[in-house]
Amino acid sequence: MELYVPILVLAVLAAGFAVFSVGIAPFTGPKRWNRAKLDAYECGIEPTPQPVGGGRFPLKYMITAMLFIVFDIEIIFLYPWAVAFDKLGVFGLVEMVLFIVTVLVAYAYVWRRRGLDWD
Amino acid sequence: MTTHYLVLSALLFAIGGVGVLVRRNAIVVFMCVELMLNACNLAFVTFARQNGNLDGQVIAFFVMIVAAAEVVIGLAIIVTIFRTRRSASVDDASLLKY
Amino acid sequence: MNGTIQAPTIEYALLAPMLVVFGAAIVGVLVEAFAPRYLRSAIHVPLTLLSLAGAFALTIWQAAAKGIPTKAAAMGAVAVDGPALFIWGTILVLAFVSVLLIKGEDHFVAAASAVPGSAEEEQALHEGAAHSEIYPLVLFAVGGMLLFPAANDLLVAFVALEVMSLPLYLLCGLARRRRLLSQEAAVKYFLLGAFSSAFFLYGTALLYGYAGSIDLAKISTAVGSVGGQDTLLYIGAAMLGVGLLFKIGAAPFQAWKPDVYQGAPTPITALMASGTLVAAFGALVRVFWVGLGGLDWDWRPVLYGVAILTMVVGAVLAITQTDIKRMLAYSSIAHGGFLLVGVIATGKAAAQNASALSGILFYLVAYGFTTVGAFAVVTMVRDAGGEAWHLSRWAGLGKRSPLLAGIFAFFLLAFAGIPLTSGFFGKYAVFQAAVSGGALPLVIVGVVASAVAAFFYVRVIVLMFFSDPAADGPSIVLPSRGTAAVVGLAVLATVVLGVYPQPVLDLAHSAAQSLFVR
Repeated sequence: MELYVPILVLAVLAAGFAVFSVGIAPFTGPKRWNRAKLDAYECGIEPTPQPVGGGRFPLKYMITAMLFIVFDIEIIFLYPWAVAFDKLGVFGLVEMVLFIVTVLVAYAYVWRRRGLDWD
Repeated sequence: MTTHYLVLSALLFAIGGVGVLVRRNAIVVFMCVELMLNACNLAFVTFARQNGNLDGQVIAFFVMIVAAAEVVIGLAIIVTIFRTRRSASVDDASLLKY
Repeated sequence: MNGTIQAPTIEYALLAPMLVVFGAAIVGVLVEAFAPRYLRSAIHVPLTLLSLAGAFALTIWQAAAKGIPTKAAAMGAVAVDGPALFIWGTILVLAFVSVLLIKGEDHFVAAASAVPGSAEEEQALHEGAAHSEIYPLVLFAVGGMLLFPAANDLLVAFVALEVMSLPLYLLCGLARRRRLLSQEAAVKYFLLGAFSSAFFLYGTALLYGYAGSIDLAKISTAVGSVGGQDTLLYIGAAMLGVGLLFKIGAAPFQAWKPDVYQGAPTPITALMASGTLVAAFGALVRVFWVGLGGLDWDWRPVLYGVAILTMVVGAVLAITQTDIKRMLAYSSIAHGGFLLVGVIATGKAAAQNASALSGILFYLVAYGFTTVGAFAVVTMVRDAGGEAWHLSRWAGLGKRSPLLAGIFAFFLLAFAGIPLTSGFFGKYAVFQAAVSGGALPLVIVGVVASAVAAFFYVRVIVLMFFSDPAADGPSIVLPSRGTAAVVGLAVLATVVLGVYPQPVLDLAHSAAQSLFVR
């Protein structure tokens, strides 16, 4: 049973944080009326009639999606390491740091080349 | 039994291979290649189960990474040619021949 | 969950040449990110050249001072043995020369994302924009080329194959002129390359299913001992073969080669024609000998057919070409066929193996230098629209520029395998090994194909020297120091290897003597 205590604590912490942030927002945030806030919720994009055939996405979507894929998928190596990092010892840690640094280099390139800017 | 998974993997691989050969749209051709890579992954994981070691599952991770890198490069190339020609058909790209 | 995991050991010293190249590539990406635009090329060129030279020095140091290791490095994943070290040296020198060619002139597009002919492109050209990412991309590709022939398990081979190919796909699409052709070459190369590597991967999966491991040595042991699963083994080996033969451009998987060689920027074509071919052959020989050596009764007849087909297709189709780069591409296909003769010449006996392997290694060095030189010459013959590729434009070049035409003629003679050029000893070494290996019919086909090939090489020479130059013929640009150095080096290598090949032959032989570690 005590095996599940950390998970339980984590769940309580997570739930507490969520309730706390949502609950405190009306009191601390500025209140400004905006028509868009009353619209049907659609991921922040103004609901527009879709063109027949789905229409084309702007290229920005693709760049963002590609960046997401690359950084997302590289992180799968973190999971196996995280499962056994204590047994892999210093060697595993050093290698993983090197790996993350390499990913970070790519990130720096994207950032400096304004790949992260939406407009 | 693992045989079913292997048959499924072979089928997926074959569907991907045929797709590469018959489809015209470069994006679809490319998706078929990705299907082939995923068929490989299925085979790796199945064989890992069958052989009783984890190598196959680790390989599947690497294959996913490589596939992601390939997606990025492939889409970049295909989008470039699409912007130039307003078409992603592999039949239209026929300046280089003989 | 209480088992301990042995932390793997990695022999960093053995892998140093590769690590230097990859490290420099990563530094190159950082330079792209943080250095101001006007400084980038000034940093990249020395960085790239120094890292390649440093990696070469480390390779030499390893071979000379530390001796050749007898055990595969990095937990058996990478085999740094005699052939691998020789191939590394070859690739690094060829890459160095190609980088000189890359920096020579403005071969690359100003802004790859701009649509050809658009105002955006005009503006980029006007501003003198340039993609200096070329250099890190080349370094990544070269790193993959180093890893590929040294890969001792199939996963490392697959990853290396992709690390080598992915940057090349991009580089193919970055030509400054004739951008439509260049982009088309990139798409074709990419789709076909990805298709073939999927085959390689499925072959790996089947062999993993067969042997329970992807380690070449373990597959080799399993070939002798595991019974009753021959289907997996045969289909797996065949699919692996498809992936590898695609990379060397052997018939019937040669279709991409002319298109890609023509469309790609010429310095990149030079890098592909030399470095990629060397790396792919190294990997092919390793996979077939270390991994599937016990199966040689089965793959040898298939390769026999492939070699004949490749030589014939390369030599015959080259005759009909009217484009200089396509012609060189078909010639490269034919040379791939000659090299396959060497692969078939490998045999059970160690001495036979060593002589065939050293023949292949020497051939790769000789052909690599000559082909880089030939493409360097192609970059110098230009007219208004860029490089003049059509053969008719080369007519009478000997009268306008005897020196350049003479050098090109010399390279063509080396391709043809005329004595006193490097090509002669390359062919001789490979064919001789094949004769002593009992593959006489193959050698006869090879000699006939060489003769056919010699016909079209000589045809180009005749065209250059004995026909009248066109009134508005192409101009010969004054080569930059880099390009001139490349041509000079290539001529030097072709002459030295043709007149006094013994040192390199000895080196290849001693590299081949140690054969492959497992």
